[in-house]
Amino acid sequence: MHHHQASHPDYGTGKKKLGIYIFGLICCSILTLIAFGIVMVNQFSRWEVFTVIYSAACIQFLVQVICFLRLNTQTEQGKINVMSILFTGVILLSIIVGSLWIMSNVNYNLM
Amino acid sequence: MHSEAIAVHEHHHETDSVDVFGFWLYIMTDCILFGCLFATFLVLNFPGSPGPELKTYLKLSDVLLETFFLLASNFTFCLAILNLYQTKLFRVQLWLAISFLLGGSFIFMEVTEFAHLANEGFRWDVSGKASSFFTLVGTHGLHVSCGLVWILLMIMQLPLLKDVYVARRRMTYLGLFWNFLDIVWIFVFTIVYLMGAM
Repeated sequence: MHHHQASHPDYGTGKKKLGIYIFGLICCSILTLIAFGIVMVNQFSRWEVFTVIYSAACIQFLVQVICFLRLNTQTEQGKINVMSILFTGVILLSIIVGSLWIMSNVNYNLM
Repeated sequence: MHSEAIAVHEHHHETDSVDVFGFWLYIMTDCILFGCLFATFLVLNFPGSPGPELKTYLKLSDVLLETFFLLASNFTFCLAILNLYQTKLFRVQLWLAISFLLGGSFIFMEVTEFAHLANEGFRWDVSGKASSFFTLVGTHGLHVSCGLVWILLMIMQLPLLKDVYVARRRMTYLGLFWNFLDIVWIFVFTIVYLMGAM
C-alpha cells in the first residue's frame, strides 16, 4: 500500500477521474450559456442581468477550480495550495476594490 | 533493493512536490498581473468615460464560440492527463493535439476579431477604454499562445522521456497553466464582453 502511494504522486492535484471532468464540462457549458443567453435576449433590467452574469461567473470559477484544477484539502500539499490561492484572493480584492474605490472618490471630487 | 527503490521514489516525490508548488506560486503571481489589468480596465471603463463604445462593434455569438473552444480544449487536456496516468502514450498525444487545435481556433478567432475591431475604428490608440481592452484581452491571448507552443513541445518530447515521473510532472505544470487560462477567461468574458455588451 505504501509503495502504491509512492508510485502515484499527485502534487496535491487530486485523483484523476473521468466522471468529474465530464461533470465539470457540463456545468461550465450550462453556466456559460445562461450568462450569454441573458445578455443576448435583452429582456431583463440592468441589475438582474448584472446579478445573473456575476453569479454564473463565480459558480463557474468554483466548478473549474474543483473539477479541473482539482484543488482539495486532502493532502498537505493540497492545503498549502488552497492557502496560497486564498492569500492571492485577498491581494486581488484589495487591488481591484481599492482601485475602484479610490477612482470613484477622485471622480466624485472632480465633478 | 526494493526499499532503496522506494526511497528514490519518495525523494523524487518530495522534490517534485516542491517544484510543482513553485509553479503554482508563479500562477498566483500571474493572477495578480491579471488582477491589475482588470482593475485598470474597470477604472477606464467607468460609465461616462470618453471614447467609442465596444458595444457597437461587438458580435457576442463569436465570443460565445471562442469560450466553447477554450472550454473544450481544457476538457481534452484533462483527458490527456487521464490517459497519461494509464500510460497510454499515443492517446495522450492525440488528446494533446486536439487541445492544440481547439486552442489554436480560439487564438485564430481572437486575432480575426482584433483585426475586425481595428478596421472598424476601435483601435488601441483611440482611447483609454480601447487601450485597456486590448491590453487585457491581448495579455490573455499571449498567454494562450505560449501555452500552445508549450503543448506542441510536450507532444514532441513525450516519447523521448524515459522516466514516467518526469513526464507526469511536466504535464502537471502544463495542466495547471492551461486550466488557469480558462479560469481567467471566465472573468474576461463576463467583465469585458458581457458587461460591455449591456
